[in-house]
Amino acid sequence: MGNNKKNLTTAVAFAAALAAALVIFNVVSGGKFLARENFTVVVSHIVYPAFTAWGLSFLFACGYTDMSVGGVVVLAAFASTVFGNLYGYPGVIIAGVVVGTLLIFINFNIFAYTKIPSWIASISLAMIYEATGFYLKTSNATKSLVTTALNRDYRVLGQLPWSAVLLAAGFAAAYIVYNRTTVGLNIRAIGGNTEVSRAMGVNVNRTLLWVGLISGLFIGFAAVVQISYSGLMTVKTGLTSMSMIFQPLAIVLLAQIMKKRVNIIIAIPVCSLIIYSIFNLLTILHVPSGTLQEACLGAFLIIFGVMGRRGGREVVK
Amino acid sequence: MRGDIILEIRGLNKSFGPTAANRNIDFTLERGEIHGLIGENGSGKSTLISQIAGLYGSDSGTMALNGAPYVPRSPLEANAKRVSMVMQELGVVASLPAGVNVFLGRTKEFSKFGIVSLKALNRAAEEQFEKWELPKVDLHALADGMMIETRKMIELVRAMAVDPEILILDEITQSLSYNNRNKLYELLKKFKAMGRSAVVITHDVEELIEITDRITVLRDGAVAGVLDSVNTTADEVKRLMVGREISGEYYRSDSEPSFDETRTVLSARGLTVEGEVRDVSFDVHAGEILGFCGISDSGIHTVGRALYGLEKLTSGRVLLEGRELKSPTCALRSNMAYVPKDRDNDALMMGASIWENFALPSVTELTGKAFFISPRRLRALARKMTEKMSVKCRDIFQTMTDLSGGNKQKVNLGRWLAKDIKLLILDCPTRGVDVGVKAYIYSLMKDAKAEGIATILISDELTEVLGMSDRLCVMKDGVLKAIIPRGDEFTEHSLIKVMV
Repeated sequence: MGNNKKNLTTAVAFAAALAAALVIFNVVSGGKFLARENFTVVVSHIVYPAFTAWGLSFLFACGYTDMSVGGVVVLAAFASTVFGNLYGYPGVIIAGVVVGTLLIFINFNIFAYTKIPSWIASISLAMIYEATGFYLKTSNATKSLVTTALNRDYRVLGQLPWSAVLLAAGFAAAYIVYNRTTVGLNIRAIGGNTEVSRAMGVNVNRTLLWVGLISGLFIGFAAVVQISYSGLMTVKTGLTSMSMIFQPLAIVLLAQIMKKRVNIIIAIPVCSLIIYSIFNLLTILHVPSGTLQEACLGAFLIIFGVMGRRGGREVVK
Repeated sequence: MRGDIILEIRGLNKSFGPTAANRNIDFTLERGEIHGLIGENGSGKSTLISQIAGLYGSDSGTMALNGAPYVPRSPLEANAKRVSMVMQELGVVASLPAGVNVFLGRTKEFSKFGIVSLKALNRAAEEQFEKWELPKVDLHALADGMMIETRKMIELVRAMAVDPEILILDEITQSLSYNNRNKLYELLKKFKAMGRSAVVITHDVEELIEITDRITVLRDGAVAGVLDSVNTTADEVKRLMVGREISGEYYRSDSEPSFDETRTVLSARGLTVEGEVRDVSFDVHAGEILGFCGISDSGIHTVGRALYGLEKLTSGRVLLEGRELKSPTCALRSNMAYVPKDRDNDALMMGASIWENFALPSVTELTGKAFFISPRRLRALARKMTEKMSVKCRDIFQTMTDLSGGNKQKVNLGRWLAKDIKLLILDCPTRGVDVGVKAYIYSLMKDAKAEGIATILISDELTEVLGMSDRLCVMKDGVLKAIIPRGDEFTEHSLIKVMV
């Protein structure tokens, strides 16, 4: 009972702080921030990073990292575009999700069975996925397919209210899997102490493959949302695909800082909203986009991190 | 009430590379029996129980459970046959709540349509705590940050939740304070009365004789003897363990405090750590061993951490020879040493080598010109201390994880004794070490005392603090209740009167 009351108090305080922050943003921007049209843009922007961040949170929960997620999103988006233009919505959704899930699942098979540190293996995989994307974009056989934008008729998942519906569904799925399923608890157990988990009968390799599937699903949906929003995916080379996960990564890091007080799955969409609100505010205030805005994001992360880690004594790596 | 044989082991062998951990082990466990297993570090106890619990297979030999062949390939298979174990070093998953830890690996039992009911899981965990009359734990809280004793309780309940016919306890009593140790004894009595059996490993010989029906003594991986607990003595057990006579008295033989009262080394004034200890004041003198004892939550371990600057003081001061200490760096520079209770997690770098562990606290002293640290000097120090402390190892490049508990503790202590220290804080220094190493640690403490080093000995074992201290601080609920000098009042009975 006491615990529930504490959780409720934390949730109310958290929501109040968020609302206060949004009101302050609105005041600073001279009432432009919370204007309907502007806020709609903010909300539609948070869906892709939230899905990617949920995918990453499952990866991090079991102690792995995957730098190839950007490359996977590019290929899944290509699949969504090609099959979407051919078969409509079933093609957009199924192709994107299947390719995303399959590639992340392959990644986890490689992590689980080769025992190569995941950040090293995933950088190699990122290079392979980027090269594949480049090949698809330049090969005569596929060039016309992947350079054609997704038909506007099939892009509703990138727009409100459908993107918000997808976000809500993704949130419910992530929350239940992470907190209320055996596989979710096993994933967290492996990340916490692999030896104890193994001794307690958790099948570590099988659980890792589950992580691949679950993360892959979220990354696949992220690709569907991204292509539905932008219509066309540009090819990435020279490891530039990694830049696609910087903002989701910042969101997960922010959510991890908050996780002692707020469940990480809940914190992710909230952190997405905070980060994109900051970007939006900076744009309204005519701060140049790109480097300066990202420097502001970096500074915000550090300040928030210092506040969140207040009182901690252990060395954080 | 003891009965027929529930577990029978014949000719069990297990080797790790060229090392024979177990050689031709015969072992029987009767229904309703509490069976003790004892031996020096590295004698094969943990290997044997790991085989019973399904963690290790066997090279040869047989095991039979209730007369049927028993070959568990994992702890889960052992659990399915109602054999469960609390391991010495395993622990809990810090990133999960205590309740989930109790049923980790079995969460499917609480799942409907793939969704785990945490409410039902926590209720079941709570029922287990109640059933076995163990102190309650916040089941919703993450295990991260819980005391080692609380974590052990979670592990114990995890083992009991299997409803075991055979319970194996690997050196858990030394993690428990006086009251929780008594609760464990009560649990074992209840367990035995139910016709269940237990195998208990502890290095405390007297405790083993007290709580068991029979004792199997292992030496060098083989059975050295099986003794009836009622008809044996501590000396007989020790002799079988080490293969020679061991003096029964390894504590101090004097009955009066003996230290230089004119030289105060450390003064603690009004130490308060929020929610842990309140207004604790005392002095420690040169050549004095000041003991600390109390039941769980008494705050004795917090005092050790606070003195070394590892706890944030709400109020109060720690002065070492008049100089105020505020951080571990400051304490280290002032020649203060701290040996924590949780050796593997809080003291040693388990993934590093023996020489790195020995060298770490002395790096500043061994730093040469232009901040250059000579690896040769660091290794020379490590070699010297390895020899001095009689650490059993291949060489100083061996990693700590390969060493037995006793040898790890020798490294843990030795790295401080390599320095010119003024004050030594020992928190449960003999936890998880055998009688031989225990005797060695006590002799080191006596030597330190003779050299004028002040020692603070924090321990959950009353016999230890009574045997070694000049004065004894008894704590209860975070408050220092009494300081008793060595003398007529220095008895277990008088301590318990203050503690409980």
